[in-house]
Amino acid sequence: MHETMAENRLTGPALNVCSVSKTFVARPVLRGVDLAVPGGQAVCLCGVNGAGKSTLLRIVAGLLHADRGTAAIHGFDIRKQAEAAKRKLGVVSHASMVYPELTVGENLNFAARLHGLADRTSRIEELLTLTELAPYRHDRAAILSRGLLQRLAIARALLHRPVVLLADEPFTGLDTGATERLLAIFDRFVRDGGAILMTTHDTRLGLRCCRRVAVLDKGVLVLDAMTDEIEPDRFCTDYLSYARSMS
Amino acid sequence: MKDFWLGLRAIVIKDIVVELRAKQVLPTMIVLGMLIVFILRMASESSSTSAGAPVMGAAALWIAFLFSGLLAQERSFAAEQQNGCIDGLLLAPLDPGTIYLAKLVANVVMLSIFELIVVPIGLISFDLHVGGRWPQLLAVLLLGNLGISSVGTLFSAAVQLTRTRGSLLSIVVLVILMPMLIPASFALLVLFGAMPEQVGGTGSLAFVGSFRAALGYLLAFDAVFVVACWLLFPVVIQE
Amino acid sequence: MRRLLFALAIGLLMVSTYLGLTTGQIAPVQRNILYAHVPNAVCALLCFVVLLIASIGYLGNGRQGWDLVAIASAEAGFVFATILNATGMIFSRAEWNIWWTPSPRLVSSAILWFLYAVYLILRVSLPGSRHRNARICAVFGIIAFLDVPLVFISARFLPDIHRPNFSFDSGWQTAALMLGMAGTVLLAGGLIWLRTSLLHSNLKLEEELFP
Repeated sequence: MHETMAENRLTGPALNVCSVSKTFVARPVLRGVDLAVPGGQAVCLCGVNGAGKSTLLRIVAGLLHADRGTAAIHGFDIRKQAEAAKRKLGVVSHASMVYPELTVGENLNFAARLHGLADRTSRIEELLTLTELAPYRHDRAAILSRGLLQRLAIARALLHRPVVLLADEPFTGLDTGATERLLAIFDRFVRDGGAILMTTHDTRLGLRCCRRVAVLDKGVLVLDAMTDEIEPDRFCTDYLSYARSMS
Repeated sequence: MKDFWLGLRAIVIKDIVVELRAKQVLPTMIVLGMLIVFILRMASESSSTSAGAPVMGAAALWIAFLFSGLLAQERSFAAEQQNGCIDGLLLAPLDPGTIYLAKLVANVVMLSIFELIVVPIGLISFDLHVGGRWPQLLAVLLLGNLGISSVGTLFSAAVQLTRTRGSLLSIVVLVILMPMLIPASFALLVLFGAMPEQVGGTGSLAFVGSFRAALGYLLAFDAVFVVACWLLFPVVIQE
Repeated sequence: MRRLLFALAIGLLMVSTYLGLTTGQIAPVQRNILYAHVPNAVCALLCFVVLLIASIGYLGNGRQGWDLVAIASAEAGFVFATILNATGMIFSRAEWNIWWTPSPRLVSSAILWFLYAVYLILRVSLPGSRHRNARICAVFGIIAFLDVPLVFISARFLPDIHRPNFSFDSGWQTAALMLGMAGTVLLAGGLIWLRTSLLHSNLKLEEELFP
């Protein structure tokens, strides 16, 4: 029931950020950022530390309130229609949001209950298979390696069938195998019609994974282009100067 | 509505399971409670009249509840700080008030387990007898528990990032709960036989007047504070 | 405008003091304390009401002005609560030979003092962004206020060792008390106003120095 209603509502982009501004004390961190991501597209957001990337992601996720502007997930405003919006949103960050004392299965069960999923058991099985975590189902999260933990975080994020995925530095601390696995999962998510907004310091990886790239500098989007329109080498060496030269 | 109960139950069970497995806070609470009772018992050793025992006993019990309760409440949000789990709760399609209520229930449960162990120890140490009034004692303990947990749960979310987390939480919760301690002490003293059911005259305890009034005050206090804390929780939890 | 307010307040207080000192048969210490004690009690409570309103206002629309008024009224209220408790103890010692006893009114006055003290400590101890701290203190202000009716009720309605047995001999004494009350309330208002604008100026300066 929820699904069809939501489908009917969506006429615009899956993720819509409009003129979002945020100031911390006297320091403006975001200044009128506009970003619209349609379904089936992955956007890589680049920027130096302090440029406002994580702040923007937190505002889109509803964890932080913007001073001005709105963010909408699947047409639902993250502040005014928070519950509906959160049902469509999955978040992966460098913090795993996983309880160390619970097992992998229990963590997923908890997340499923939080989202009120009807088909809990089958959905958990699906995700354990997708992330290849089934053998670790009964292991406590405390003993998992970083790569496994990240897979659990992804499983948790995708459990409730979100249409938008926010990923804040998801590749941090992952080895090659884990990175490839994660890339495959993102790929599949996008092919299934989902939208991804991710931030990463590894620009090569970002360009590989995403069809669109944006650069945030001092709170403003200085570049927003499709990946195949930019020169990857110049971009990866110094995206800031590249962005400035483009505008 | 169904989602509300599902989410509430999920968080309560999760909190209890996590604590039972971590086995950190509950043992600390119980040992702290026992130590407080023990220390106050030693301090009142010099009191020759048996009239002193109920007063010290009531004081020991309430102090033990307060400080152990604070431990439990601090844990309830400290546990969410690791791995950024609090974000996981906030990202769920749940009203933040539901998180508060769930944490409140979990804290009440923890404090109840504590009471079940420490209250008999307190009664034995101070040689207090409640007679046939066990139901009343349980009622007083539950009401006190709810009051302590309601305020503590709200403010423990607020002081999470501070360095002096524990002591800051202590002064905030203690000052708000001060008015509740008067009817709470009155109730315990009546149950321990140190005071008649009806009291007149001047003095704070006389202000309460009767055991039933004391229960009434505790109930009113709990009702007001649970609702107020529940309503204000979303303000505190938001970054 | 503010100077006028302060002048008026001080003027009223001077008249009240003069009248209080020169009329009436109450023993010296008690009398003097009385004229200081009662207005302070009223002001301590009033400041809390202002704190409550400012806290609600701040949570309502997030404008910093409300927050500054909250800080100012907490500081003023703390001062009044301190004087309230101190004068109360002096009076109590002079009249009944004990410094303090847990009677409802005295306990409530002590609670009021503690509430202010904890609020001020919270204000300086919380880390994090100013906005978040202000919000948490506003929440504390609202929750703490729920304790205050107790103070008010116990002062008005209860039998208490506190209520002194004396009556005023002449209208002048009542006038002294009333004028003292008015003067202190005006003083409280002036102090809050002054402190708020000082805080405001501080803030402006900070913003200019550290953009």
